[in-house]
Amino acid sequence: MSKPVYDREHHIKKATGIGDPQCFKGEAGEAKFKVGDTVRIKDLPDIFYNRCQVYTRGVTATVVELVYESPAPEDESWDNCDDSQWFYSLVFKQTDLWPDYPDAFSKDTLETELPERWLETA
Amino acid sequence: MSSSTRDKVMRHLDVVGHLQPALHVPQQAPYPDLVDNAHYRAYTRMSHDVGGEPDVPITWEEKEEELWEHNTFVTCEVLAWRGVWNAEERRRRQNVDVGQTQYLGLPYYGRWLLTAARILVDKQYVTGSELSDKIAEVKKRYE
Repeated sequence: MSKPVYDREHHIKKATGIGDPQCFKGEAGEAKFKVGDTVRIKDLPDIFYNRCQVYTRGVTATVVELVYESPAPEDESWDNCDDSQWFYSLVFKQTDLWPDYPDAFSKDTLETELPERWLETA
Repeated sequence: MSSSTRDKVMRHLDVVGHLQPALHVPQQAPYPDLVDNAHYRAYTRMSHDVGGEPDVPITWEEKEEELWEHNTFVTCEVLAWRGVWNAEERRRRQNVDVGQTQYLGLPYYGRWLLTAARILVDKQYVTGSELSDKIAEVKKRYE
């Protein structure tokens, strides 16, 4: 039986001299959300790999920046790089994330990045 | 949707807190009706997603990286430059595919090193027997 043969260097060839995620710029199409939008984090099934923190699921956040375009971690981690999407920097209120967060720090926020597939309009 | 999702999320964080490796409480291949949805979610959760788990403060120490750790880092970067993996695949393998016991139980660069060996076998750059024989050969040098 022969071994699988494919271009194992397709990613490095694409990123060389440009950088990653810069090499995916322009591939995600129009962004679904803009700065200032309120979004809710979906509770999609966790199967094998993603980087969407469970503690954010079901919570609303504010879009503060469209940071870059890239395949979602659940795809790129198997070298599937054909479906780029926008990544958003999101700000959460800590009191929305943690039930026992002290009132004295009610203005605290947390900022993290998530790909578009995890977000829905709130 | 949101409040029931939050209920599930908070319950999840509670359940995974009970799933820390505990060698004195063996769990071996339970019958299907012994694993409810909450436990299925906890068992299949990504081991790197530790945010929100109950824990206690640990002492922060300024630790210099050791030579083997530098070498491991460089090896993993070179594997990326040669197209063996990209950074996200490396993280998947180091932080999740190793499973919770190894994720929590091995040193940080121990996981990097183990994973560098694993990718070479998985993608057929070396065979399992070649790797095993080589480790045995190197071990002998130190006996």
